[in-house]
Amino acid sequence: MSNEAILHEHQTGAHDAGHAHEHHHHETFITKYVFSQDHKMIAKQFLITGIIWAIIGGLFSVLFRLQLGYPESTFPWLEDFLGNWAKGGKLDPDFYYALVTMHGTILVFFVLTAGLSGTFSNFLIPLQVGARDMASPFLNMLSYWFFFAASIVMMASLFVQTGPASGGWTIYPPLSALGEASSGSKIGMDLWLISMSLFIINALLGGLNYITTVLNMRTKGMSMTRMPLTMWAFFFTAVLGVLSFPVLLSGCILLLFDRNLGTSFYLSDIVINGKILPNEGGSAILFQHLFWFLGHPEVYIIILPAMGIASEVMSVNSRKPIFGYMAMVGSLFAIAALSFLVWAHHMFVTGLNPFLGSFFVLLTLLIAVPSAIKVFNWLTTLWRGNIRFTPGMLFAIGFVSMFISGGLTGIFLGNSALDIHLHDTYFIVAHFHIVMGVAGMFGMFAGLYHWYPKMYGRYMNNTLAYIHFWVTLIGSYLIFWPMHYEGLAGMPRRYYEFSGWESFNMFGGLNQFISFVSIIVFAAQLLFVFNFFYSIFKGRKVTELNPWGAASLEWSTPIRPGHGNWPGEIPEVHRWAYDYGKDGRDFIPQTEPVGEDESKH
Amino acid sequence: MSQGATAEAGHHDDGTQIKRIWKTFWILSVITIIELGIGLSIYTIHKGDNPNELLVLMFKGLVCILTLAKAFYIVSVFMHLGDEIRNMIMTIIVPLLLFVWFIVAFLWDGNAWKNLKNTDAGSREYKEQPQQKLPAKEKGHKD
Amino acid sequence: MTTATAQPTTKLWSGGKSPFNVSYGKLMMWYFLMSDAFTFGAFLISYGTIRFSQNVWADPNHVFNAFPFMGHANLPLAFVSLMTFILIFSSVTMVLAVHEGHKMNRKGVEKWLVWTILGGLAFLGCQAWEWTHLITGEHEVLVNGAIQSWGTTVTHNPWGPEVLFNGKEVATPGPIAFGGYFFGITGFHGFHVFSGVVINIIMLIQTRMKVFENRGHYEMIEKAGLYWHFVDLVWVFVFLCFYLV
Repeated sequence: MSNEAILHEHQTGAHDAGHAHEHHHHETFITKYVFSQDHKMIAKQFLITGIIWAIIGGLFSVLFRLQLGYPESTFPWLEDFLGNWAKGGKLDPDFYYALVTMHGTILVFFVLTAGLSGTFSNFLIPLQVGARDMASPFLNMLSYWFFFAASIVMMASLFVQTGPASGGWTIYPPLSALGEASSGSKIGMDLWLISMSLFIINALLGGLNYITTVLNMRTKGMSMTRMPLTMWAFFFTAVLGVLSFPVLLSGCILLLFDRNLGTSFYLSDIVINGKILPNEGGSAILFQHLFWFLGHPEVYIIILPAMGIASEVMSVNSRKPIFGYMAMVGSLFAIAALSFLVWAHHMFVTGLNPFLGSFFVLLTLLIAVPSAIKVFNWLTTLWRGNIRFTPGMLFAIGFVSMFISGGLTGIFLGNSALDIHLHDTYFIVAHFHIVMGVAGMFGMFAGLYHWYPKMYGRYMNNTLAYIHFWVTLIGSYLIFWPMHYEGLAGMPRRYYEFSGWESFNMFGGLNQFISFVSIIVFAAQLLFVFNFFYSIFKGRKVTELNPWGAASLEWSTPIRPGHGNWPGEIPEVHRWAYDYGKDGRDFIPQTEPVGEDESKH
Repeated sequence: MSQGATAEAGHHDDGTQIKRIWKTFWILSVITIIELGIGLSIYTIHKGDNPNELLVLMFKGLVCILTLAKAFYIVSVFMHLGDEIRNMIMTIIVPLLLFVWFIVAFLWDGNAWKNLKNTDAGSREYKEQPQQKLPAKEKGHKD
Repeated sequence: MTTATAQPTTKLWSGGKSPFNVSYGKLMMWYFLMSDAFTFGAFLISYGTIRFSQNVWADPNHVFNAFPFMGHANLPLAFVSLMTFILIFSSVTMVLAVHEGHKMNRKGVEKWLVWTILGGLAFLGCQAWEWTHLITGEHEVLVNGAIQSWGTTVTHNPWGPEVLFNGKEVATPGPIAFGGYFFGITGFHGFHVFSGVVINIIMLIQTRMKVFENRGHYEMIEKAGLYWHFVDLVWVFVFLCFYLV
């Protein structure tokens, strides 16, 4: 058997990459910046595409918050931008739904999946496990371009005459399956499905690469339990993606068939405009099952990378080893495994069999255990630490705060009895925005501020960063905290306006306040974007190899690593990534051999 | 170099390898024939005047088990997963366990929809109607 | 050069080498197939869910009882058995091709690859015949008190429960979802067979051009083989879900 020859060949391939770095030959603009196979460049491509999407998605939320906060007012400038969609300066109801749908789709998939794990998995995995590049740089490049294609299709759907998909980011049929049902269910919905299929291919190619790189390409001495927690988090994220996205693909394919080929997968007993449709036998709830079989792991695809980043950043900036490393790994695994078993807790009010529902309640509440383990380990990592409040550290702490606040309301919602009251109200909007949306963004910001010096060889401006942090933290709580009260009072989500309900009139002022704050928070994000791009060119230059004094492997590369990451041999690893404050030393890098009389951690 | 490596690793069990492949082929064929036999017996049971539903259910369960056996042989011998390191086998097998709850929960809910429909969401009792040889006007409204 | 297998297993995880002693490409193929298994799994489980939610379903022994050139003879399951054996057989030829690859025997690889490709094409031909037969076949169905002639399509299902009409047994319309799932899932499987045939043809051309011989190993054949066996594996379950139970 020639297995050995195959394995050996791969090693030489890796060495070639190293040589390519040393000689700097044959790199044109196209191969370096556009069709690059360097994981660091691909990471930046994901990041910048993600930032562009985040601005668009955030702007959409500001637009529909204008309608929710100021339902009586008109904004003539809106008509200048949106034309028919905002006649007389007031958002068209159809377009309001389109904005809500696109806000959800963009933020969940394009920003917090591709932008977060796409960026950091690509950037950090080879650097932190000690590899020249991803297992397959070519597939990695392909992964980004599938994401790019998905972006183009989704972007195009914003400009079609009947508008983009508008059935909510969960695109439940029959609304999404029937073009006659709403203008957003016409061509915009087809484009949504095509875009999402391309996106799933991107997630699959990326995920396969991340998994195999972590398993196969670790440098000598880098056993699995010596990896930083970021690696574990990205690894489990990739596993979740590889196993759950294909189920969404199946769901999307069946929905495309229902829309275009007259099949009855999701359709049965439907009367539309007085006409009885011939479709019979399918079930709309089936789509919800398929969607949430992906959809629930998806929220962990968003939050696990943020957890990993927060763990790493907090340990480095507390100058303490992460508390309970194996417990952290174990709880990541537990969360990943449980995430596949709880999807129907999104469906308690669909007529789900209550007895079946009780199993989902049990499994859902079990997630609280590993989540609590993680929270206590973060807090005990901070405990008596020598904390440096860098912007990255602030965002990591903010992440923990958000995760606690949002996680606690999750325990409410996981109970089917309570969920019947809270389902589809602003309570749930507040819950998932805090625990997934804002917490995910905080993890991303923490990572960006922390690894920016490694990415661009410069620092971001600290003053702007601190303003960005405090406005975002306080603003997020001001936006989402009041929504809990609205939701408990029964105010439903996704409504265009509430003037028809006497009981919700008392929230008029509160809604206005929320909209006002969300505009300020959006402006603060623009400040971040300015800081990000400005610092790429004008930021303070990094002059030392290891500015944060971190023990992990990525800081042993040159300040601006070339393709291949390490100019010479890849360093060997002798210890775990969290030797901080040990034996009287501030930190010991992973590359340093264990001394004779060193104490055990 | 690889020529040498192959000669050393591949030759000593060349014959046994091929024998094993053909043996697996025969196992798969025999199982398939048994499955077909069961399929045909289900068919004849259904044709009878008084089909024994429990027997049909047992036969169906048996076919499912035989199919899993076939899957095992294909994956283990044809795809050579059986020859890999145990840890790698586990990374393939363990995620597939997710299918258990995937299948159970989906089918359970599907069955629950049937009960909801048959009883107008539980508001009346369901009476088993003779499914064969219905009077002609039943289901007549369907196009 | 030390062989990884000769080392104790605990060392396999310490970095610097593959913990499973396989190349990243093969590992990726395995995990891709696992992902694809979830795609197919989702399809088949959706089918099962819908079937469980119905009071009546089409009886496969009635639907699939035809054989080419046999006219209206009632031969339940005969044709699909032929298709199953074709696929199992092509799996055997594929694994033999992989085996020849291990022995660096280019001629052997070529021979068995050709047989595999032929098997794949034969399967696709069978499927084309079966689809055509189902779609164009005419079946008497009692609709709104009158007899109509229906084929099995994604919008028509003539396999509902039978009723007495004018003294003879006639079928009523069955659940429409049956056709959608049957054509959808067998179609998706057929698409996999088709892409597998294309991959195998590419492999054959590369083998003839001595690409793998010069590379020193036939691992690509192994990866293509994994994909091909997976297609066979999926068929085992499609066979179970649509034809047997």
